[in-house]
Amino acid sequence: MIDLIHVTKRFGAATAVDDISLSVAQGELCVLVGTSGCGKSTTLRMINRLIEHSEGEIHIDGQQIRRFREQTLRRRMGYAIQSTGLFPHWTVARNIGLVPRLLKWPAARVQARVEELMALLGLSMEAFAGKYPHQLSGGQAQRVGVARALAADPDILLMDEPFGALDPITRESLQDELRTLQARLHKTIVFVTHDMDEALRLADRLVVMHQGRIVQQGRPLELLREPADGFVESLLGGEDRGLKEAALLPVSQRMLPLGPRLLARERIGQQASLREALSLMLWRHAERLTVVDDDDLPVGELSLRRLVGARSDG
Amino acid sequence: MRTPRPAPNVVLLILALVGLTAWLGLESVSVAANRIVPGTGYRVVEVIGGGALLVTTLPWLALAGLAWRPSRTRFIVALVIVVLMLSALPAWLALSAAMLVEGGQARLGIAAGLWVVFFLLLLAMIELRTRLALSRLVGWALLLPPVAIVGLGVARWLSALALWQEYRSRSDQFLGALGEHLLLVGAAVGASLVLGVGLALAMRRWPGLQRVGFGVLNFLQTIPSIALFGLLLAPLAWLSAQVGWLAALGVSGIGWAPALLALVGYSLLPMVRNTFVALEAVDPGVIDAARGMGMSRSQVFRQVRLPLALPVILEGIRITTVQAIGLTAVAALIGAGGLGTFIFQGLGQAAMDLVLLGALPILVLALLVDALLGALTDILRPGVAE
Repeated sequence: MIDLIHVTKRFGAATAVDDISLSVAQGELCVLVGTSGCGKSTTLRMINRLIEHSEGEIHIDGQQIRRFREQTLRRRMGYAIQSTGLFPHWTVARNIGLVPRLLKWPAARVQARVEELMALLGLSMEAFAGKYPHQLSGGQAQRVGVARALAADPDILLMDEPFGALDPITRESLQDELRTLQARLHKTIVFVTHDMDEALRLADRLVVMHQGRIVQQGRPLELLREPADGFVESLLGGEDRGLKEAALLPVSQRMLPLGPRLLARERIGQQASLREALSLMLWRHAERLTVVDDDDLPVGELSLRRLVGARSDG
Repeated sequence: MRTPRPAPNVVLLILALVGLTAWLGLESVSVAANRIVPGTGYRVVEVIGGGALLVTTLPWLALAGLAWRPSRTRFIVALVIVVLMLSALPAWLALSAAMLVEGGQARLGIAAGLWVVFFLLLLAMIELRTRLALSRLVGWALLLPPVAIVGLGVARWLSALALWQEYRSRSDQFLGALGEHLLLVGAAVGASLVLGVGLALAMRRWPGLQRVGFGVLNFLQTIPSIALFGLLLAPLAWLSAQVGWLAALGVSGIGWAPALLALVGYSLLPMVRNTFVALEAVDPGVIDAARGMGMSRSQVFRQVRLPLALPVILEGIRITTVQAIGLTAVAALIGAGGLGTFIFQGLGQAAMDLVLLGALPILVLALLVDALLGALTDILRPGVAE
C-alpha cells in the first residue's frame, strides 16, 4: 500500500509535481498517464527515493519512506524501466539474481529463484540463462527486466514505461502477460506510461496527470464516461472514446439469451470485447452475432442495437 | 555458371605488383667497407644474376594470380606463400652476405628495396588475416616462423649484417638500455595511471575542475618534448641543491627525474581523458536501474560503472604506453638512458645502423604493447567473454 500525501517536488524554481495526493491499495495496478513532462515519472521515482520529494509525505504500508535507508527501501520494491537497464556485462541469470544477491540470499536459493522466474516469464533456462543482454530481442530483454524486478518477491513494483520501446505486437503480448501475472501475484504496481491504450488495458486505477497535478483519477470506465475536463477527454481519445470504452467491455455484458430465431452465422466468444464484436459486424455486414463460450457452444446472441444501445439496461 | 566470378582482391593484387616492382627495381642490400662510409647499393639482379632473378619473381606472380580470382582456399594458399616469403628474407640476407661481403670490417646493410618488400609483405599478411577472419592470436602465430628463422640464423649466417655487428659490440649496453627504457615507461605509465584515475574521479566529483584540469593537461601536451625537458632542468637542479634527500635519491636537473616528470605530464592527458570519458559514457539507464534496484554508491561503481568503463580505460593505457615508449627515446638527450641513447649516438656518428639498433626495438616494443593491451581490451569487452 502506497500513500502520497500533498507531495510536491521542485527543481530549483520549477515545480515538477505540485501538491498531489494519491493512494494505491494493496494489489492494485495504478497507471499514471499523461503527456511528457507532466510529472508522472518524477512521481514514480519519488516513491523509491531516486528523487527526493520537497514537501508532503510518502508512506509505504503506513511508514514514511524517509525512515528507511534508501537501499533498504529500494530492495523492497521491484523497478523496471524503458531501456531495461540490464547490465550488459552480466548474463541473464546474473541480472535476474541481482536483488536477491544484494539481500545476501544463499546461492542455492538465488539459483532456485532465478529458475522459477525464468519459467514464470517463459524464458527457457537452457536457451537464455547464459546469454548476454545484447543477444536478446527487445521483448526478451524486457521480460528479463520484469523478472529482475520481481526477483526478491517485492510487494511493490514500480514500472517506468517498461514497454515503451517495443513494437506494437510485442508490447501487446507483454501487456497481456503482465495482466496474467498480476492476476496470480497481486502486487501493488505503479505503472507510468504516455500510451492511453496501454493505460486503459492495464489499469485498475487510472491517474491522469497534467502539469504536475492530478487532473482526474478513477477506474478506466469512470474516466471514459465522465472525463473531468477537455484535457482528459482529448487524452482519452476524443471521438475514439466510444471505441476505447467498447474495448474494455466484454460481449457477455450486452448479449441476450438465445431467442426463438435462427442462429446468426457469425460467431464471437463471450470474453471478446464489444469493440471486436463491432469490428466483426462491420467487416461481415452482419447485424447479429451468435455468442459462444470457450467450447464454441452458443450461449446467447448480440444485436447491433444491443451493442450500441442500452447503457441504461447494461 | 551459377555463381558469378569473384571480383579481384585489389589490395592484395596491388601489394603483390608493387612488391615485385620494388624487388626488381630498388636496391635491396648495401655493402660498406666499415661502419662510417656510405655503402654501395645492390639490386637483386646484381647479387644473383638474371636467371635466378626470374625464379624469385614466381611467388610474387603467384600472389597476384591468387588475388585475381580469390576464394577462401586461394587466400589460404596466398597466406602460406606470404609467410614463406617473410621467412625467406633472412635467408636472402645471408645469401647476399655470402656473395658480397669480404673482409673483417665490411658489413651488409638493408637497403630501401628490402624494407619496402618487408612492409608490403606484412600488409599482405594483415589483409589476408582480415579476409580469412583469423583471430588476433593466429595472426601473431603466423609471425613466428620468420622470427624463429632470424633467431636461429642471425648468429651464424647473418654475422656480416651491420645491425648485428652494432648489437654485438654493445650487447651489454643494449640490455641495460632496454631495461632503462622499460623502467622509465613502466614508471611513467604507472604513475600517470594512479594520478590520472584519481584526477578523473575528482573531475567527476567536482565538475568545476574539468575545465581547469583539461586546460592544463592540453597545454602540457602542446609543449614540445625537448623544450619540456629543458624547462625542467633548472627547477629540478635547484630543488636537488636545496633538499638533501632528493639529491641522495639521484634527482637532478638531468637524468631520470626530469624525464619521468615530463613523461608523466604527457601521459596524463590521454589517461585522464579516456578514464573520464569511459566513466561518463556508461549508459545512464543502466546506472538508474542499478540504483533503483538498491545498489549502494560503491556497489554501483565497483560492479557496474567500472567494469563497463574498463575497456575504454584500457584503451587509454594502451595509447599512453605506446606514446611513452616513443617519447622515452627523446629522454636520452637529457641523460635518462634508454634505447634513445643509440639513436642519438648513431646520429652523432652518422652511423645509421646504430640509429636502427635504437629505433627498431622501440618500434617492436610499441607494436607488442599495442597488440597485448588490444587483446586484453577485447577480452574485457562486456558480454563477449564466454
